[in-house]
Amino acid sequence: MKRRHFLKRFVYSLVVIIGASLPYGMSRLLAPATRSDRNKYLRPPGALADDAAFIKACIGCGACGEVCPPRCIEFYQRSGGSQVNTPFINPEDKGCILCGYCMEVCPTNALTVTPRNEISMGIAQIDRSACYPWVDRGVCGACVSVCPLGETAIGFDFANFYRPVVQKGCVGCGLCVEVCPEPSLPIRIVEMSGSTVTPHRI
Amino acid sequence: MQHEQINKPFFLWAHLNKLRWLSLIFVFSVLILLPFLHLYQTYVAAHAYDLLTPDQKGIYDTMEWLTSPLTDNPETDLNQLKGTTWSGTIFGLKLSDPLALVGQLAAGLSIYWPLVLAALIPAVATMIFGRFFCGWICPASLIYELNETLAGWLRRVGVPLGDRKFDRRTKYLVLGSGVIISVFLGSVAFAAVYPPAIVGREIYYAIAQGGFGAGAVFFLLTILFDLMVARRGFCRYLCPGGALYSLLGRYRLFRIKRIVETCNDCRKCNVVCEFNLDPMHDDFGQECNNCTACIAVCPTDALTFTVSIKDSPFLGPGHLGHEYRHVSHEAEHETAAAS
Repeated sequence: MKRRHFLKRFVYSLVVIIGASLPYGMSRLLAPATRSDRNKYLRPPGALADDAAFIKACIGCGACGEVCPPRCIEFYQRSGGSQVNTPFINPEDKGCILCGYCMEVCPTNALTVTPRNEISMGIAQIDRSACYPWVDRGVCGACVSVCPLGETAIGFDFANFYRPVVQKGCVGCGLCVEVCPEPSLPIRIVEMSGSTVTPHRI
Repeated sequence: MQHEQINKPFFLWAHLNKLRWLSLIFVFSVLILLPFLHLYQTYVAAHAYDLLTPDQKGIYDTMEWLTSPLTDNPETDLNQLKGTTWSGTIFGLKLSDPLALVGQLAAGLSIYWPLVLAALIPAVATMIFGRFFCGWICPASLIYELNETLAGWLRRVGVPLGDRKFDRRTKYLVLGSGVIISVFLGSVAFAAVYPPAIVGREIYYAIAQGGFGAGAVFFLLTILFDLMVARRGFCRYLCPGGALYSLLGRYRLFRIKRIVETCNDCRKCNVVCEFNLDPMHDDFGQECNNCTACIAVCPTDALTFTVSIKDSPFLGPGHLGHEYRHVSHEAEHETAAAS
């Protein structure tokens, strides 16, 4: 009799606990986790280097997006699993202008105020088999002229003018990706440790 | 006549409920205005008015008309007011929801002191005024209350709507399980289920980010839950923020108190209470959000504010209840006799 009573209470409390965590499960179901392409989902400038730490720190208030002058910061709205409502920048839509408003407005340590040349969103990588000047299909230099950091980040090849070469000062703002006129986007933002030239295996 | 001389509540208390509605509507309209202001800022920053579409030009002109008396430099000056009720900036002062702090503490298992400071002012205010955020500021509360009005109309027409009663303490479990889920998931789980955070964010998504997100669907589900299953069910039984504020406001200073001499036991306060509390039996408890709906509805002005950290125990039936009926009977007899 006593054991039966205990079992009943156990089952009841289990049901209540499951019911209490139902809202969280529901919200998780509404935003299913998807594999995200690193090049299209950059974190805003000043973000914690470790992406798991960033997701832990971000409270999903959206303030960074609300101050962004070019509106480059987007959010995982209907996907992303546990990183739902966290911000990202897709440089193919809009690049970051490194104004720093988002770092100032962030209430958490997800985005911390960083000098613009120490930001590490990534580094630009140029595919030398597709970029117009590199394959001698004309002169361009759009990426070099748009770069907010100047010649410390991207410059021209010494021997062959108009061929862009990414320097170590690149912070990965993505303005060059936004402005690149070549449809296949030979320039893209990769991880900070990545190479500045797209490796090709033959 | 003696009763009217003692303990008459301050005349403004009965009008606080109107002020509360104004406050809710004000917060909601600011949440709608801010994304438009942001759009305006981006258009200003782009320096390309001629390239805007007619709709965008309309936004630009309206917002320029609104803000031009206040600022000459909207691009940076309008950054003084940003964010939502979940977390925002007002003239450099950062304010965050205490629930955001709890969620971040649980997710990261580390303390970030600026966020603690940002959550401190709301937390202290909650300790003084109780769960006032729910009734006075929460943008979701406005929608839930309008939804409740709609439910009332539907009931009057004859649509059968559920009014189930659950255990009020369920929401503390929701708060607890949210903390545990945040720890294991490594993300702030509250952000996706907490209605005020959802409403502010989704308004911003819809206006400035090109469409509603997943939170809008969740919020719609909570509205349906309120409508079909339990009246104000999410706030009463499930809201983790409400649970946190109730705990913080357990020993709040300002509370509503019944004046037993003038109470006539009409039960209107119990009926009007959104949180299913029992003002008629002096049972406000930690979950009262000082919304003052009961003060506004009281026909004999028998509810007032008091400064105390505890509710008074049950004071007995309202004295006026007895005499009120008695006196009115006598008056009826007198008028009948006179005629």
